[in-house]
Amino acid sequence: MKRNSLVLSTVLFILAVFAWAGWANFEYRKQARERLLAMTPQGEMVANPAGGAPQYVTPLQGKPAPQFTLEDLSGEKRSLASYKGKAVLINFWATWCAPCKIETPWLIELRNQYAAQGFEVLGISADDIDRGDAQKLSDEKKQIARFVQQMQMPYPVLIDGDSISQPYGGLDELPTSFFVDRNGVVVAAQLGLTSKEEIEANIRKALGVGK
Amino acid sequence: MRVALALGLASLLTQAQTTNLTGHSTSKPAAVEYLYPEQVTVPAGKATTVTLHFRIAPGLHINSHTPREDELIPTTLSIPEGFGVRLEGVVYPPGTDFTLPLDPQTKLSVYSGEFNIKASIVATAGDHLVEARLRYQACDNNACMPPRTMTAAIDVLAK
Repeated sequence: MKRNSLVLSTVLFILAVFAWAGWANFEYRKQARERLLAMTPQGEMVANPAGGAPQYVTPLQGKPAPQFTLEDLSGEKRSLASYKGKAVLINFWATWCAPCKIETPWLIELRNQYAAQGFEVLGISADDIDRGDAQKLSDEKKQIARFVQQMQMPYPVLIDGDSISQPYGGLDELPTSFFVDRNGVVVAAQLGLTSKEEIEANIRKALGVGK
Repeated sequence: MRVALALGLASLLTQAQTTNLTGHSTSKPAAVEYLYPEQVTVPAGKATTVTLHFRIAPGLHINSHTPREDELIPTTLSIPEGFGVRLEGVVYPPGTDFTLPLDPQTKLSVYSGEFNIKASIVATAGDHLVEARLRYQACDNNACMPPRTMTAAIDVLAK
């Protein structure tokens, strides 16, 4: 009888431990998920009050653009901070992104049109790069360089965009663009291919000029 | 003795429960879903063709196995080592021509809707739970998602 009680108590104790462990694990995962979500500003598509296609609204709107330093294709480091005083279009793209190929000529034309007013484009490649393998890294950089040459991008092209994706919303889709004014504040964002007119309107917003 | 064993087991299982697990779920549903078969029976040691069925979410397309441009990411099937099943060959369906509304001059070779891949496999005798991998890259008419690798779990019974 005494032995049965001991066995029963042990079984109940084990079950209680399982239940506690399951609850603790659930709480830990929940908190970890909330921390990750808090660090990754999630944008959303909202109806356009003027009609037409839905607009992308980023939680970064009205806030300082997250700072970053990335390498360009020659290995030189470039920081967003060095463009303070200029309006900047931070454009995330990739060589495997067909809509990005459509958008890039528009960005080039608009960049050339507004450069004299203090506007620059930073083209950030989200192509995977393998820093652990020198040969692979070289091949990947060559592929990006080939694309840049083919598209004739005149603006700085930075690599390893994935490494700064989290503060910019996670880069679930490409192309994704953030328009930053001369004070370093995000004034607009775009998710996916829109139109040259919409891009131009956002550039003018970043420059602080009228429509 | 039994009590000691039970307590030891409990502590081991507790460790497993509270271990930090890596990995995260994406916030959006997957672009490609594996449909069937869940289980196949094949002769052990002989190459057998198994047809794997997939479905792409409406509104999306993925590059075919032979996209028209080098930088586009092809759809590819693989079976990692260690499952007791070897992938001998793969026959992919032909892609269909697709153009983006804003670039009608550029033809892409894509899959959309449901598609099948014929995999020729050789399995050692036994029951193998295989995790075949499908790498793909999906887009809609206006945006592209990063490349993904999904798992297709198939129970291969080789007799």
